[in-house]
Amino acid sequence: MALQNRARSTRLLVVTLVSISLVTITVDYREGDSGPLASAGNTALALISPLQQVVSKVTHPIGNFFSTLVRLPSIRRENEDLKDRVATLEEQINTATADLNRLHQLEGLLGLQESIGPKVQTTAAQVISSGVSNFEWTIEIDKGSDQGIGIDMPVVAPAGLVGHVVRVSANASVVQLIIDPDSAVAGRLDVTGKTGLLTGAGEQDMRMGLVDTTTDVGPDERVVTAGYRIPGVATSLYPPNVLIGTVSRVLPDSAALEKFITVRPAVDFSTLDLVLVVLSDGTG
Amino acid sequence: MRRTLLLSVVIVTALLLQTTVFADVRLLGARPELMFLLTISFAILEGPASGAITGFAGGMAQDFLLDQPKGITALTLTLLGYAVGLLRQYIVSPSPVLPVLLVAGGTFVGELFYGLVAFLLGQLDVTALYLFRVAALSAVYNAILTPLVYPVLRRAAEGSRSRKVMRW
Repeated sequence: MALQNRARSTRLLVVTLVSISLVTITVDYREGDSGPLASAGNTALALISPLQQVVSKVTHPIGNFFSTLVRLPSIRRENEDLKDRVATLEEQINTATADLNRLHQLEGLLGLQESIGPKVQTTAAQVISSGVSNFEWTIEIDKGSDQGIGIDMPVVAPAGLVGHVVRVSANASVVQLIIDPDSAVAGRLDVTGKTGLLTGAGEQDMRMGLVDTTTDVGPDERVVTAGYRIPGVATSLYPPNVLIGTVSRVLPDSAALEKFITVRPAVDFSTLDLVLVVLSDGTG
Repeated sequence: MRRTLLLSVVIVTALLLQTTVFADVRLLGARPELMFLLTISFAILEGPASGAITGFAGGMAQDFLLDQPKGITALTLTLLGYAVGLLRQYIVSPSPVLPVLLVAGGTFVGELFYGLVAFLLGQLDVTALYLFRVAALSAVYNAILTPLVYPVLRRAAEGSRSRKVMRW
């Protein structure tokens, strides 16, 4: 009997509560945002919000931890995106650095061009590839006969003399480097003014021959091109006073007829990138 | 008196947690529903009357404090508390998994009911699929939270239970 009473009173309670809920829903629905229920809600919100702030301050790190756990996949994806972005940006930075290097090289070429002489026509060329053979020291450049390049034209780099053109096609040419064993350049010692002939020795330093034994040669002396110019008879291949290299070794061999001098080229041929081809010497 | 106090404290705590900690925890687009968990737990522990009261009080508090359409949560939770309380009387099982299952099922059905009422009142504008998903996810989250919350609530309820015979 008591149990039934209790069940009945429970049912009554539930019906009451449900009715109140339904009334609340109806009133709220009819009144919208301006009714007393809405303002009661706002008041309640105002009452609890300080509490919320306090709790939030305490629990926010905890919530952060869990939400981080939950967002791990998206964080991972974001991480990958960012890595991609970093890679792209790094690539851009590298490109920019390369561009800057190129700018410096071009500036160097410009200075070189001015130093050779304003009348001298030159054209800048990009090194496409270095020679494929172990016994030939050549490079290929991206300018050819279409750009006015011909055989025997001298090629210089900002650091110094590179070589001369030995083969020309329409849009590319092959340059024999001065370190090629077949190459011979007339050079002049900067201090004494004595001339000699520099022949390439491949990876080793160039040999400078035909220098008189009495000549006083010191190490680190600069060697520049000797511009022979006998009008009508012969002209030297290279423009005068272009740096070839510095003296690296002098053998004190007084018995020989000539001094044994080695010259280290001023140009680092392994990192050659931009060169200047001298199209004409400005006289013709 | 002690029970009223306990109920108020528990409801306010649940609301605060719901709006702070779990406001940040949004797993796959759904959140745990602490008030559902609370109502079902009390219904299991104390019976249909207590479940209905808890649901009504908690639902009203949530509706008014969280700027939701007022009364719908109260209606849902009142019925849910009552229903779970009734159901509990017919299940004789000492299994500790039972509260978890009841919480999961109750949350799922309750969420669907809430969505249905809100939809009928024009307060809800989502697809049925989304509603199902949210209900299922909330059920799962609540089920996960049950082993943490339920023992605490049981201890609190037993501690506040007066020697006198309960009328509700």
